[in-house]
Amino acid sequence: MIAEETLVQELKQKESQAKAFEVLVNTYKERLYWHIRRIVLNHDDADDVLQNTFIKVYRNIEGFKGDSKLYSWMYRIATNESLTFLKQKSKKAGISNEELKMSLVENLQSDVYFEGDEIQLKLQKALATLPDKQKLVFTMKYFQEMKYEEISEVLETSVGALKTSYHLAVKKIETYLKAD
Amino acid sequence: MKENHKNKFKTPEGYFDTFHERLMDKINEEETAQETSLIPKSDGFAVPDKYFDTFKVESEQVKVVQLKSYKKFYYAAASIAALFILFFGLTWKADSPITFEDLANAELDAYFESTELNMSTYEIAEVVSLSDLEINEVFDNTLEDENILEYLDENVEDIEDLNLDYNDYE
Repeated sequence: MIAEETLVQELKQKESQAKAFEVLVNTYKERLYWHIRRIVLNHDDADDVLQNTFIKVYRNIEGFKGDSKLYSWMYRIATNESLTFLKQKSKKAGISNEELKMSLVENLQSDVYFEGDEIQLKLQKALATLPDKQKLVFTMKYFQEMKYEEISEVLETSVGALKTSYHLAVKKIETYLKAD
Repeated sequence: MKENHKNKFKTPEGYFDTFHERLMDKINEEETAQETSLIPKSDGFAVPDKYFDTFKVESEQVKVVQLKSYKKFYYAAASIAALFILFFGLTWKADSPITFEDLANAELDAYFESTELNMSTYEIAEVVSLSDLEINEVFDNTLEDENILEYLDENVEDIEDLNLDYNDYE
């Protein structure tokens, strides 16, 4: 694990920037990819958003003040990029955000990079019915196994509120999965 | 120990000796219960072969190099554009400059539709004067229950702040 502060310093200096950026990309690409993929669902879209996220990180590193941790700052950029991507996609298609989410889930059935069975497909349908924030909290906690404190930094929400959101999300998903 | 003699309360034999063991059992039990939950442990997403090994960000440097190689074309294009501007600038009537009103409303609508403005309520209030708004526009619109619930779902951080009965909320 590289020391975050050193990496940030190197990213801000012209001569060490390229090398440091490579380290940054290699350290975080997988984690950020899975975070993005669980929001946009499709691999190609996730790849696009991941590219954009790193480009934004690269362009804005000057402005990174270190008030929060580097990874939570990048997660925040990735989250915003993913949600904006979905909004733009639904606008282009002339459908609502909810309709888009449902159609993305439908497309998973024929997606070669989705190996889920029926129950996992149903889980995605359940997730698509949740408000953005509840879905984010659930996937970050359940699948990405992040700590509440980490999620709290990314989503800028108190741990208490996150626990409530998580609890509600689990209940809603279980009810959805139980129903036929 | 003195305390115990005073209050006369008793605990079952060996209660404290086995407390830790029982606690761990309970924790394990809960963890197993979680594992056997309806929600699957994995969500079934996959990536193309060697995707992470080959992932590269299209870095700024690459773009900069491209820009430089086209530099001379930009100069040529800029000089042609300058000639056109000069030509039209001289031939056009000076009394009909393009104004804000000339922009088609549809284009403005399209711009606001497709652009994230990220303005706060206060910033919007600074731009739009109150006299431009019909106060009735706010009061006459009745809110549908569905919209209210959607708003609360997305904006209320702590459900408990609403002092709702949990059953009511469900």
